Amino acid sequence: MAESDDEYVQDISDEDIEAHQVTRGAGAGSRVTGQGSRGAGWEVTRTWENVVEGADGTISSTVEGLLEAGKRKRLLKDTTPLQRGIIRHLLLVLDLSNAMSDKDLRPTRYLLTLRYTINFITEFFEQNPISQLGIIGTRDGLALTISSLSGNPNDHISNIQKLHEQEPKGQPSLQNALDMARAALFHAPTHTTREVLILFGSLLSSDPGDIHATISALVSSHITVTIIGLAAQVAICLTLATRTNPSLPPSQTYNVALNEIHYRDLLMRATTPPTTPHSTTERSGVESSLLMMGFPSRIVDPSPTLCACHSRPTRGGYLCSRCSSKVCSLPTQCPACGLTLILSTHLARSYHHLFPLRNWREVTWARANESGQKVCFGCQAPFPERPASLRRQSTSGAQNHVRMSLATPRSQPHPPKAVHTSTASKDGVSESGRYECENCGRFFCIDCDVFAHEVVHNCPGCQSREGILTSGTGKGVGQTEVVVEEMTGETAS
Amino acid sequence: MNAVDGSDHYNKTSDEPPPSLLTIILDTNAHAWALLAPTLPLSAAIANLLVFINAHLAFNNSNKVAIIASHTQRAEFLYPIPSEDDSRQANGSTHNGAQNGLDGDMNMTDGNEANYAATADDANHYRPFRHIQTTLLSAMSKLYKTTSPESLTPTTSIAGALTLALTYINKQSIAFSTTTSSKTNADPLLAPSDPNSIQPATLNPRILILSVSGDLAHQYIPIMNTIFACQRLTIPIDICKIAGDSVFLQQASDATHGTYIALTHPRGLLQYLMLGFLPDQSSRKYLVPPTAVGVDFRAACFCHRKVVDVGFVCSICLSIFCSPPEGAVCLTCGTYLQLGEYGGKPAVVAKRKKKRKKGADE
Repeated sequence: MAESDDEYVQDISDEDIEAHQVTRGAGAGSRVTGQGSRGAGWEVTRTWENVVEGADGTISSTVEGLLEAGKRKRLLKDTTPLQRGIIRHLLLVLDLSNAMSDKDLRPTRYLLTLRYTINFITEFFEQNPISQLGIIGTRDGLALTISSLSGNPNDHISNIQKLHEQEPKGQPSLQNALDMARAALFHAPTHTTREVLILFGSLLSSDPGDIHATISALVSSHITVTIIGLAAQVAICLTLATRTNPSLPPSQTYNVALNEIHYRDLLMRATTPPTTPHSTTERSGVESSLLMMGFPSRIVDPSPTLCACHSRPTRGGYLCSRCSSKVCSLPTQCPACGLTLILSTHLARSYHHLFPLRNWREVTWARANESGQKVCFGCQAPFPERPASLRRQSTSGAQNHVRMSLATPRSQPHPPKAVHTSTASKDGVSESGRYECENCGRFFCIDCDVFAHEVVHNCPGCQSREGILTSGTGKGVGQTEVVVEEMTGETAS
Repeated sequence: MNAVDGSDHYNKTSDEPPPSLLTIILDTNAHAWALLAPTLPLSAAIANLLVFINAHLAFNNSNKVAIIASHTQRAEFLYPIPSEDDSRQANGSTHNGAQNGLDGDMNMTDGNEANYAATADDANHYRPFRHIQTTLLSAMSKLYKTTSPESLTPTTSIAGALTLALTYINKQSIAFSTTTSSKTNADPLLAPSDPNSIQPATLNPRILILSVSGDLAHQYIPIMNTIFACQRLTIPIDICKIAGDSVFLQQASDATHGTYIALTHPRGLLQYLMLGFLPDQSSRKYLVPPTAVGVDFRAACFCHRKVVDVGFVCSICLSIFCSPPEGAVCLTCGTYLQLGEYGGKPAVVAKRKKKRKKGADE
């Protein structure tokens, strides 16, 4: 279930890109066919047919609907809680060869890659705060370390910025880069992921030996390789991606960027922690373990004292919670006792991956009338009134007011398929402009819907309703279940 | 040339400082306020708060304010309130604005908390100030009227209030940017997966929490989510800690570069507010803000909701436990966890592990 759901997310983003991609739509038809939700591939580009005059003779209502659909489409993600590899070790391999000076991506592939890489680094550490990232470049048939594996985004960014002064040249070598990546990931602990992400602009790889041997070595050391191509699909890349990710379809591991936006999307997709397949224990040696970590508090001394990590005199710092030695920055390992020291905020940043907010469902006019909520609970903005033209049809709307959105995972008595073909909503847009949280039954506007799912990852209604706190006061272990239930969206006892 | 014909006069509109939106979260926990009553009764606090709000509004004509109550069990808007606010009852009956205004007047004359200020001399009262005052007071008394005695717990739903504040700020920022420039509307569609495409709010939002109660460990995850959202949107969270102590609010203000002041003399609330919290983001650059020196970065464990400084973290889901869970199975994700990871280092730790295991079995 997990994998098929995951693939669905992928489909959405692809389709999203197709919507932008007018001229190449036919060429990329193979991507579109088989997704099936919008008909044949060539139809996708005929966007003008979606624009229909409204009752008042303007197209403003349709345009608004399309805007809302665009906002909403991104939201209908799978909200099933999945196991994800949250502690990651990722090596980013940059192609710095001649091919990167092409200008098919503006301004050049090279400059765009550098720019996106900087964004990627920031976003990566935003999403994976306790992960490690390293950067390797390949040019002149060689692999070179640009930035070694570390958890500090600023180091990486400054190293990338140094690349601006250099020119791409020579041929890339996949094998050398992969060997270097493998060596760098050799020490990664078993409970973390080992990933390589290659941004590859060339159509060839000039290697000193047999790259297939390298691929086999990667497979045996459980390193997964994902590739973003910039020019065209290359056979060896496909082999590499499929062999190192046997459980994933190639569409998730090897993609060729169609344009700048697509490139960015592909790159940013890699910032989300990868899902761990459920048969995780036998696969790839990823073992879960319990880590002991310290959450030190920050102190400021009145006079400078030496820190344990650099032996430099500093005033501010963090005291190890086990041995009270002072370190300058977090996350780190205590130099004295070896305890992993981390800010709890680092850990907490990943929780929304683990406890995703469920999708809210669309509200029909019948349901909206029944409930009588007049303003968005989140932002107090008034909802649109029911248009007079629709009042007559209220009976037809009443029967499907329990329509669910796409990806609501469990506890669904109603079959989502039949329900989704109803005329009242298309692309997950609510006809009444209201979206309802199934847990607390509050209505929200589209802006709050997008904001709550993309940024806050909290439901304003669920967090502020009666009884959310009483269920948890003063209980013991059993209380965790309550919390988990809250987060996964079951109604609390 | 332009200077001569004076046409640049019409182009120069953006010189004035951007308006700031102050969102105040008022902890309305009745327990805590009752405890505070000898030094700072709630009515006095609200009077001080109203002066502070007026000062904020007087700074810039287009400054805005929103007040949210973080009540014992729920969070609710106190200002602004939609004129037809019956979403809570959800009974579908429609009141009109006049009803609401009447309600406010009645409460004013009833005088629950309202009798200390603003009697009838409205002619001398700047109208926006008065509007906020009446709305706030009537909403407050309504809030306490609808509070049932059994729902009075010592906690407060700060996470809900923060989430409400953020959604409100988000909506106001969108509204503000669409009125100033209409083209930004299309941006989120162009860069769909870019989290930075959330417009850097030209509206200058900030959140001020007046907190009187502690113990927020139950809402650890939602609070953290809101903190990260604020961090991402560069919204500072200012904490005015009137009483109690809470680890997570310290972290909130630290992570978002807000101000944290724990009041030593609650009686002087107004002075703290005026001196510490009145400057907005743009003017804080030129000031030395009062900051908390040390920040408590401890986390809450998922199993007993204890605040811990050394915890055990599940490598799969990053749940924090205060001791290894029973049977070494993670309580959150159900994964079997190997305990050997931390036993391997010095011999001392291995001994400790045995002890803990025994403790877990009992």
